[in-house]
This record gives sequence, C-alpha cells and structure tokens, in this order.
Amino acid sequence: MPAGFAQVEDDFLGDEALLLAETKQVNQFFRRFNGEEDLLGNRLSPRDSLYRSPALRQEYLEMLFDKFNPNLSPSLQRRFISSVNDPNRPTYLDFLGGEWFAEVTTTFSYQGKDMPLTLFLELEKADIGSKWVLRQVYFEPWHDLFSEQVPEDVYPAFLHPLSHELDFMNLIKIFRNRENLELYTSRSYQPDYLTLLIYESKRRTLQFKSVNKVKFHFFQVDGWYFELAEIYRRDPNRGWLITSLSRLEAGQKDLLLPYIFRSQ
Amino acid sequence: MLRQPLILAVLFLFALPLAAQDDISPERKRAIDSLAMEKVRDLSRYISIIGSKETPFSEGNRVIDRAVELFADGSEIGVSSLYREEIQYFGVRRYFERLMALNYDRVTIKWYNIQYISDLELQPDGRYVGVITIYQRFEGVTDDGLKYMDTTKKDITVYVERKETQISGRVIEFWDVLLGDIRVVETLP
Repeated sequence: MPAGFAQVEDDFLGDEALLLAETKQVNQFFRRFNGEEDLLGNRLSPRDSLYRSPALRQEYLEMLFDKFNPNLSPSLQRRFISSVNDPNRPTYLDFLGGEWFAEVTTTFSYQGKDMPLTLFLELEKADIGSKWVLRQVYFEPWHDLFSEQVPEDVYPAFLHPLSHELDFMNLIKIFRNRENLELYTSRSYQPDYLTLLIYESKRRTLQFKSVNKVKFHFFQVDGWYFELAEIYRRDPNRGWLITSLSRLEAGQKDLLLPYIFRSQ
Repeated sequence: MLRQPLILAVLFLFALPLAAQDDISPERKRAIDSLAMEKVRDLSRYISIIGSKETPFSEGNRVIDRAVELFADGSEIGVSSLYREEIQYFGVRRYFERLMALNYDRVTIKWYNIQYISDLELQPDGRYVGVITIYQRFEGVTDDGLKYMDTTKKDITVYVERKETQISGRVIEFWDVLLGDIRVVETLP
C-alpha cells in the first residue's frame, strides 16, 4: 500500500482501508492515472499544486496494476509508468478521447438455450453529450457458421457471366447447397454479426439474460496496449486494475484488434 | 407541514447563477455532489429501516413509497454475488419488498464511511449522469443461530437535470437530482 494510504488508514477501521485503496470506478482509474484526485478520492482543482503532479501520479500509477498477476512483467510496468509520467512529455487518459472500448461478456438465450455472447461497445459523441454504442459482437454459433472453410471443389463456384440470359435460373443450385453461399458474394463481403444480433433479437430467437463480466481495452497511450478489469479480493490492490500490458510497435494495433474481436 | 419550506430552501440553495455553456463549474459540481450525496444518504437510511425487523409492516411500506420516490421511472437494481456470475435484475419496489421480507429474525445493516463520486457526464437527452459508489455491511441472524454476512458495493446512477420553477412570479432555475439503476456487487464475504 502506498505511504499516503497508510497514513489515511489510521482514521478508519477494518475493511475501510481496503475500500479506500480500491479503485472503485473506472472513473477513479482515469482520475488516479492522471493524478486528478487526492487520497480520499476528492477531485483536485486544476489550480491545486498536486493536480497531475508527477509525484502523485507515480504513487497512483504503481497501484493501478494487478500486482498478483504473474503475466505482468515488473520491468514492463516500470517502462510504461516512466513513459506516461515523463515530466517533459506526460500522457493523460481522456474519457472522451476514443481509442478505448468495453468488452462485455453476457448470457443470451438462443433457440431456448443459455449461451455466452460477447459485446464490444465504444463511447460515441452525440449532438449533445456522449453515449456507449454497440460496435462488434462475438457469438460462437454465428462465428462457426461463417468461419467454416468453404470447400474448393464446389462446382460451379460462381454464377457464370451469362446467367442473366437465363433469368438467373441457376440461383436454385446455389441456394440448394446453402452451406457455400459465401462463394457467390462480392469480394468485399464481410459477415456483419451486429446485424445478425439485431435481426435475431427482433425475431425474439435471441433474448438477453444477463451481463457476466466487463473489461476494457485501451489503445490511448501511444505505443502501448493495456487491459482493465475489475478484481475483488481481501487486499488493497483491488478494484479496476490493469491486468494486461503490451508494448505496441507500428501496425500491431491492426493485428491485435481482430484478435480481440475474435473476427479472425 | 414542514416539507414545503424545506423544498423551497433546497431550491434556493441550488438556484445558483447558471453558466451559459454546458460545462458545469467546479463550485456548481460540488453543490450538485452534495445534493446527490444527500439523496444517497436518504436511500441508505430508508434501506436500513426497510431491512430492520423492528420496523412494523405498515411503516415499512410507507418507507418503501418514500424510497421509490427517489428514483427515476424504470430504474432497476442488478444484484450479483461472489458465487454467481450472472446478475439478477429487480425493479426498485420489488427489491425493497424482498429486503423487507428477508427470512431473518435479526438484521443489521451498516454503511461504511467510504463513498466515491464520479465526474458528471452530459448524455444525449441533455441531462447529466454520474455514479456514486457506497458500501454496505449486512448481517442477518435466525433464532437458531444461523448467520449470514456480506459486504456489498452499490454503484448508484445519479441523473442531474436543470429545471425551472416559479416562486412569487420569479423564475428560479435549479438542479434536480434523481437516482437511477443500481449495481449491487458482493465484494467481501
């Protein structure tokens, strides 16, 4: 526990010290990351000498990592902290700055059976204010359906260029063999799982049951990617914490995103 | 009898000059935080009364009515525990009725001296939204000695809206606060 919290702890009994140290909201993660609140969680005024001070940020940043996670390399954490808390070129998180999104694991009832479905949401600026919007969805039955390898020996694997002269009468063959319909779409075709989600929900074949878990993916810090998740345990290192951290070279974000969305 | 002057006092207290832009000044934010915390304290007080086995049934129902008035229409309470990943959703009134009907002979509800108030964010309907986090310790004991204890974290949505009213022919603008959905998570056994 950082020294500052040890002093505050004297004023509280039992679990209150744990709760005080806990990063209680994602909002508090932002404020602690940026050094914008005092040790009791009160907002600091931008005129306050402590506001965004490198010393305060250092103390907070060190406690924002899941310290029981063996996959979080201490040296990488130190590099990350030095990078974002560089007094000459500090990096702050911006709630409405984009480049971060939520991954929400949910349960839906699909064809009478409870199944996990993952939603990806991002903050979007509206005419007034902002809102979370659905960006992507991953649902295993749909993913399996669309990622099956289409056999190459399907014959014919196209609608020949004079099909129009026969009023496309050969359509009957491709819809008879419905497993390979992707072969007959344009080169730009990509399955749109979000439309499927809306379609199946409107038809009531897919019904929302519950949210199970939420985590966040951050790309807001140049050259870095980290994951934020909520952890409860009897230790001051709890609440919303960084559970995964990676250095990102140029172009790696484009490789990582399809992996997160499980679209590859 | 006392209620009307009290409401007027609250109106004047928060009827501060309004900024032309949408941003809320730090001073105004602090005033809104206090108002929102006051509503949350009312809710905490009502929960303690509703949960207490010493509260007569008719009084409990009256307090439930008062508690429900704190909330925006359609608000829900989502409850999850350490042992169940999925959330159970209840309407606000149903949640309070279940709390009143809990099958313990003695119930103690205490609140930790810790709360966290988020920033306010503007949402597309022009209202501001924030979240206040509080922690509750629950203990239920049956006459044959069975004891249940938990600590829950309650993340409470707070809607803040700028409204107008006329008092003695004068238009007074004020900030109104309503509670919304609450996430209840069991965080310590």
